[in-house]
Amino acid sequence: MISSKAFTFRDNSLSPIWDKVRNGVRLTKEDGLALYASDDLIGLGRMANEVARSKSGDSVYFVLNRKLEPTNVCVLSCKFCDFAVKAGSKEAYEMTLDEMLSKLRPDLHEVHITAGLHPSWPWEFYIDMVREIKTQFPNVDVKAFTAVEIDYFSKKFKKSHEQVLRELYAAGLRTMPGGGAEVFSERVRKELFKQKIGAKTWFDVHKTAHKMGINSNVTMLYGHIETIEERIEHMLRVRECQDETNGFLSFIPLAFQPGNTGIKTRNDFTSAIDDLKTIAVSRLMLDNVPHIKAYWVMLTAEVATIALNFGADDMDGTVGEERIAHDAGAISPMELAKGKLISIIHEAGKLPVERDVWYNPIEIYPAKGTTVVSKMPYLNSVPFYHEFAPALKNIEVAPLMPSVLGRFARLGTVSAGPLSLRDFMSVSDRFDRLEYGIAVKGNAHSVLLFSKYGWSDLKGKRIGITSESSTSIELLRILLEKRHGVHEYEFVKLHPAQIQNNLSDYDAVLLIGDEALRNGELGGIPGFDQMYDLAGEWCSWKELPFVFAVWAIAKDVPAEAKTQITHSLENSLVSSAGHYAEIGREHGKRLGMDDAAVDAYLQTFRYRFGIDEHAAMAEFEMEWESLKRNNRTVPVGHSIAA
Amino acid sequence: MLESIRTRVNNGDRLSREEGRWLLQNASLLDLAELAETVRYRLNPERRVTFVIDSNPNYTNICNIDCIFCAFYRHEGDADTYTYTVDEMITRFKASAKRGIRTVLLQGGVNAAIPFEYYKEMVRRTREEVPEIHPHFFSTSEIIGMSDVSGFSIPEVLRQLKEVGLNSIPGGGAEILSDRVKKKISNKKGTSADWLGVMREAHKLGYKTTATMMYGHLEKDEDIIEHLSVIRDLQDEYHGFTAYIPWSFKPGNTPLEKIIPTYATGTRYLQMIAIARIFLDNFPHIQASWFSEGKKIGQIALSFGADDFGGVLEEENVHASANFVHTTSVKETVDLIRSAGYTPAERTTLYDIIAEYGPEEYPAAVLNSARLSVHTDAGAIMHSLPIIQAAVLA
Ligand code: SF4
Ligand code: SF4
Repeated sequence: MISSKAFTFRDNSLSPIWDKVRNGVRLTKEDGLALYASDDLIGLGRMANEVARSKSGDSVYFVLNRKLEPTNVCVLSCKFCDFAVKAGSKEAYEMTLDEMLSKLRPDLHEVHITAGLHPSWPWEFYIDMVREIKTQFPNVDVKAFTAVEIDYFSKKFKKSHEQVLRELYAAGLRTMPGGGAEVFSERVRKELFKQKIGAKTWFDVHKTAHKMGINSNVTMLYGHIETIEERIEHMLRVRECQDETNGFLSFIPLAFQPGNTGIKTRNDFTSAIDDLKTIAVSRLMLDNVPHIKAYWVMLTAEVATIALNFGADDMDGTVGEERIAHDAGAISPMELAKGKLISIIHEAGKLPVERDVWYNPIEIYPAKGTTVVSKMPYLNSVPFYHEFAPALKNIEVAPLMPSVLGRFARLGTVSAGPLSLRDFMSVSDRFDRLEYGIAVKGNAHSVLLFSKYGWSDLKGKRIGITSESSTSIELLRILLEKRHGVHEYEFVKLHPAQIQNNLSDYDAVLLIGDEALRNGELGGIPGFDQMYDLAGEWCSWKELPFVFAVWAIAKDVPAEAKTQITHSLENSLVSSAGHYAEIGREHGKRLGMDDAAVDAYLQTFRYRFGIDEHAAMAEFEMEWESLKRNNRTVPVGHSIAA
Repeated sequence: MLESIRTRVNNGDRLSREEGRWLLQNASLLDLAELAETVRYRLNPERRVTFVIDSNPNYTNICNIDCIFCAFYRHEGDADTYTYTVDEMITRFKASAKRGIRTVLLQGGVNAAIPFEYYKEMVRRTREEVPEIHPHFFSTSEIIGMSDVSGFSIPEVLRQLKEVGLNSIPGGGAEILSDRVKKKISNKKGTSADWLGVMREAHKLGYKTTATMMYGHLEKDEDIIEHLSVIRDLQDEYHGFTAYIPWSFKPGNTPLEKIIPTYATGTRYLQMIAIARIFLDNFPHIQASWFSEGKKIGQIALSFGADDFGGVLEEENVHASANFVHTTSVKETVDLIRSAGYTPAERTTLYDIIAEYGPEEYPAAVLNSARLSVHTDAGAIMHSLPIIQAAVLA
């Protein structure tokens, strides 16, 4: 279930649609048209906001990014493009690689590269561009080249799309922008964008990219000559592609600005109502796209703020910094843009989360007086959040992986959540434990070691480990060393975006949460003969449950907020009991689990703690301390955050 | 709390101050909007948004009040002062009438050199010589100024103005009617009681007025609720208010700019519109302004309880002085209302409907109006009581 809220609407025709949405039933084209036709803007917003909350909590993401347009020379002259010029023209510019590098800074996390289709640049130049940036700025991820450019490279350099992308991937490309999609309608393309690639080529490029581990975005240019039906069809095609490849990170509606393009639109700009409806309808239609972006540079900061309550959960980033760069003294335009983004998000009553290109949180910026509660984004935590809705506006929810929660709890920016046991141990002086958590007696199905070898043969082997939870890593070490006497092995951290990893490079891999569950449901990972359930191993060894996580609240949280949080958790647990299949259905579907599997899985956990769980925690702490005493820190390989 | 408030709003019950404050501080933006729409459609059931074709000239910019947030006024003896004669103003009104303008919202500085007769002349001659125009003249500060200059009491000033044909006055200058704020500030002239007093006397005599609020400076949420409460109480007495109009403070070019360097945001504006619509159950209309908040925020405000889009003003010197000018035309106003999904309807100052405009239909004034440079009703920035010296003192 997406939401337990039964809304009433001014426009009754929204009620059946909401019933579908909140029960996770997909909307049809007719539903989409009905949404657009409704005059109940606020009703649309409430639905979309609720869906966005179910995905991202109160988080609104932004990235420190910068745009790089290496040249404005282009072989095409698309009707509405006021950027491109012909080679030799007075306004033409071509950057050298050094010029490009000089525009970057090490504290950026993304560089967004798009360029004109240059008539004579060699293929190597593009490869160098990506490789050099990645080499000189390892923290900066390259989001480069629209499908239009990829297709141009393919034709010009006589390589298939796949080959072009493979070479760019090898140079370090990991994400692509979503431009060039316009609106996927042949009619519109013929009339406005004749020279551009059509929908088929666009999807072909993006699907190829997704399949090799390059994620991308997808845009929709609206407010010109397209019909509402064409917008909905556009969304449906995106949804269909996403079902197949699951590679889109965000959907970005872009309002068309006629400017001096010569294209006739009804008004000089799209109406604010259309902007907000489009955001909301996208959120409701695209149930499988993780994020909807309110591109503030185009929408204006004011409308973008409002859009954050209409289903958008991403602001893009500092990319528009030049627009607000005025004489601000010593503050860099980027700092200024960052501050501005943070204040826009606060204004919307949401929680600013600085992210990397894959939406991993880097830092969060709660408004003063806000209590941030972490939402564990795993199926096994659903019972905690089913009815979790504290009535206080200043309690905000952010979905965070256990390891990220641990980091933020140590920093003091997150004040409550189901802390991974190991993380709780590191902050127990500042946090109070609640009698809730996640424990299991027996197999947990979601902390799995997939191995090519039996336990004792793991000596000297290379083990890829999740970066999502420190407790699972410590548990693996305890099992290896204390139970199986294996003391030499190499731990290598897996990339947090699983799609990036080639698991066959490892002798064994430790996965947790949904990722483990999904692979476990599939019967294991091909090539890895053994599958060990670490919780099960522990339980049969110790004859105690294993405690993964324990709910804790920072001691400095105001009493009223504490009460609300505890109360809300209790409510959730009480109301979920006996309804596991229903409340976990949505989440289960994404993992390929049916109702019975979801129910069985959730039944294995103990969410309320008693004497057994206390004993289990003490036992774990003792084992961990003894490893530490023997100075059994992580051997070789990448360092592991304890 | 939200559920009990929702039930009360659905039943048409009046909200207490505590409930109002709780909503302002705790309700999400869209919960506020939902409640505001419940009230909006109860009081104004049609999907119609009204506007008035008016202009907003000034007859003098000389003022002795020195409001710290005012970028418009000049002192006697400054280089760029002006005071127009009644003749000059009447000539302008005639030109306005020709362009299809129906209402003139006239305000000026508080200029002690102008005799009371001038104001009466202005009203009388407007009624006689430009009958197409409805005079919506003089803020409370000017009326207090007239009383000072003439020695007549406020009711007497209002009575005499009424006698020559004035029957509505703009609601600017209210700022935040909160004694909690007032106590902290040093007023050179004017208190919230003064503004309310003038309004009460006016309503008693049968005048219709608007009420404004200027927020986004030093006020707290409590002050906003206080403001709404006192005007709601006054409205219970004579029902003289036609509409409520919130404004955000625009700091450009004013001494306050140094203290309050940022504009209140669009979200805050929507909250102000919505809370007012929910709380002011005895106000027939809530006016949104696309001129001060921008076209898109103005459109969105129509889903947050506003049912009126104010004026399509021809001249507006106060905001213009603060580097804050949006331009538009009658046509664009109509288009904005329409593209927001409402039927545009032209109204009088007193909120009587003149005409509704169907698809592709425009007021005749469109034909005459090139691209007017805009502005609006009520001049909240004008004649604000000198709040906020506190900011300087504190
Ligand atoms: S391909 Fe891109 S850069 Fe070239 S003209 Fe078309 S829109 Fe402009
Ligand atoms: S707001 Fe009005 S009263 Fe105040 S200084 Fe300006 S003109 Fe004078």
